[in-house]
Amino acid sequence: MSREKLKRLGVELPLLPTSTVGSFPKTPELAEARTKYTRNQITRAELETLEKRATEFWIRTQEEIGLDVLVDGEQYRGDMVAYFAELMGGFQTGGLVRSYGNRYYHKPAIVGEVKWPGPMTVQWWRWTQSLTKKPVKGMLTGPYTVMDWSFNDHYRDRKSACLALAGELRKEAEALIEAGARIIQIDEPAISVRQEELSFAIEAMHLTVDGLPAYFITHACYGAFETIYPDMLELPVDNLDLAISNSALDLLKIFEKDPFTKDLSLGVLDVHNHRIETPTEIKARVMRGVRVLTPERVWVDPDCGLKTRTVEESRRKLETMLTAVRELRTELA
Amino acid sequence: MQLILSTAGSYPRIGDVPDLQRHRRAYAQRERGDISAEELRKVEDEVVAGVIREQIEAGIEVVTDGLIRWYDPYSHFARGVEGVEINGLLRLFDTNFYFRQPVVKGRLRRRGPILLPEYEFARSVSSRPVKPVLTGPYTLARGSIVEAGYRSVHELALAYAEVLAAEVGELSRAGAQLIQLDEPAIVRHPENLNVLEAALAVVGRERGAARLLLHTPFGDVAPLYRDLQALPVDALGLDFTYSPKLPALIADLGSAKPLALGLIDARNTKLETRESVFPVLDAILPALKTGPTYLMPSCGLEFLPRERARLKLETLKRLRDAYLGGRS
Repeated sequence: MSREKLKRLGVELPLLPTSTVGSFPKTPELAEARTKYTRNQITRAELETLEKRATEFWIRTQEEIGLDVLVDGEQYRGDMVAYFAELMGGFQTGGLVRSYGNRYYHKPAIVGEVKWPGPMTVQWWRWTQSLTKKPVKGMLTGPYTVMDWSFNDHYRDRKSACLALAGELRKEAEALIEAGARIIQIDEPAISVRQEELSFAIEAMHLTVDGLPAYFITHACYGAFETIYPDMLELPVDNLDLAISNSALDLLKIFEKDPFTKDLSLGVLDVHNHRIETPTEIKARVMRGVRVLTPERVWVDPDCGLKTRTVEESRRKLETMLTAVRELRTELA
Repeated sequence: MQLILSTAGSYPRIGDVPDLQRHRRAYAQRERGDISAEELRKVEDEVVAGVIREQIEAGIEVVTDGLIRWYDPYSHFARGVEGVEINGLLRLFDTNFYFRQPVVKGRLRRRGPILLPEYEFARSVSSRPVKPVLTGPYTLARGSIVEAGYRSVHELALAYAEVLAAEVGELSRAGAQLIQLDEPAIVRHPENLNVLEAALAVVGRERGAARLLLHTPFGDVAPLYRDLQALPVDALGLDFTYSPKLPALIADLGSAKPLALGLIDARNTKLETRESVFPVLDAILPALKTGPTYLMPSCGLEFLPRERARLKLETLKRLRDAYLGGRS
């Protein structure tokens, strides 16, 4: 059914469309340049030249691998929330907070009314799309996750902050559509952390996407299924992207009780493991979804952004994924 | 009326200015092998002394050592126990903090004192009483992967409880008067209250003159409040940030145990005001049958930047003083 929506939007995809969750590792050249930039050893313009070169590398790589729906690889982004927080009005870069071990990050703080500053991702999307004939996804972080991963010094409560963000992020989605994006992914990895807040997370997504002419995907992290299914089906998006590579979940059993009503992206590659999966393993993981939904409703991708893997690991994992999918396309045709 | 100010556990180990980043630098140097374990320990000593000083300057009356030497609340204990290995990272409840998950490979056996040397050092640099903090047996068991040695969370919780009982005994004999036991996992698994009860009975066995404070952050504790009152501990620490109904519930049911009120949100930078805190105190305090009552942040302060953690504590003191001042 969402395939019809895609068709209406002018997007034709093969059976079991393949994509990735968003980030690719920074190329070694870019990683070095980013360090130099933070030390003021190169200019912003020099850094951007290298960001573009790395983005182009990843577009070519995705085309070579044979992926169907491409991403820009987020070579110009650091953290998926901080990137937006640094650009939007109402935010301040927060102080350092520990995330684990000896690892710290600057947690953004909302200190005033949040405000869309004008397009934040559109220029990159437009440029990336100009490099390829395949569709490139617009990539946004959802209002609930931006709220949850920021301090809130301004709004009365978490819900008010989340809904305010939704109204502003909608403008970015509109701008992407205006530029020509037909598929937009709005990530909500934080959505399962507080079940009692799911209702306003869903309300926020309505504010962000309702009435907009695009095919929307939401990526949620491992663990979401157990805690917020079937309520998460109320998210007003076309496709839910779920990490299942590490999960022993019996989708059949879960969907028998509460039928899955959307397209499903199956995250079949474990991005937190160096090991390259075998085509047989991947096929088995895809089949867990195909057996319970029709193959027309299933997409295939890694279980999270690939930015923690090396360039070579990312490529080999995705090549294997495509090998598996090509075999399945023949077998299922 | 006595309202004693305390912290709830962790304290940010670094700040945003280079002077306050010694710990991060030393830790990285140790990881690269550039400095010895002893040299890192000296830096940790200085940081512990610093965060204790900062708490005291902010007006805190019962301090913690900030858990500066802990990698995280799980592996810090798992490392001190035979039969447990340390696994990959897992998200700590609904926070953006990650801990290393213990993997139980066989029967647990404590290698030796885990917290005692840390407590003794903290006490030597503090002019105020130091409250040791332990991760509770149920939470440790719930957060562990069991590969061998135990057949259930219940069995494993009792095994961890034996380890922690020895810790509590040592801390009590060393002079700790108030010992905090963190059990956030029970809020998400109220069906295991019986397991918690049995494990706490073991942990408390050797507490001697020390009082055990059970703290249950990171979730709405209101549905469990009645049951917590029946547990074999001496005081309860409550995180109010998830529980809009908790003040009315306590006002209604009272408390047979002294309470530590986690009214200051240790997860968000926004500072509390009279308007947000006084009505809660007005509702709760008359219902408390026994003291002392503690005021503290909702959980450890490590979720905040250092400068904001300090401001939170100063706010706590200012609000307490204003509240008591307004009544006298």
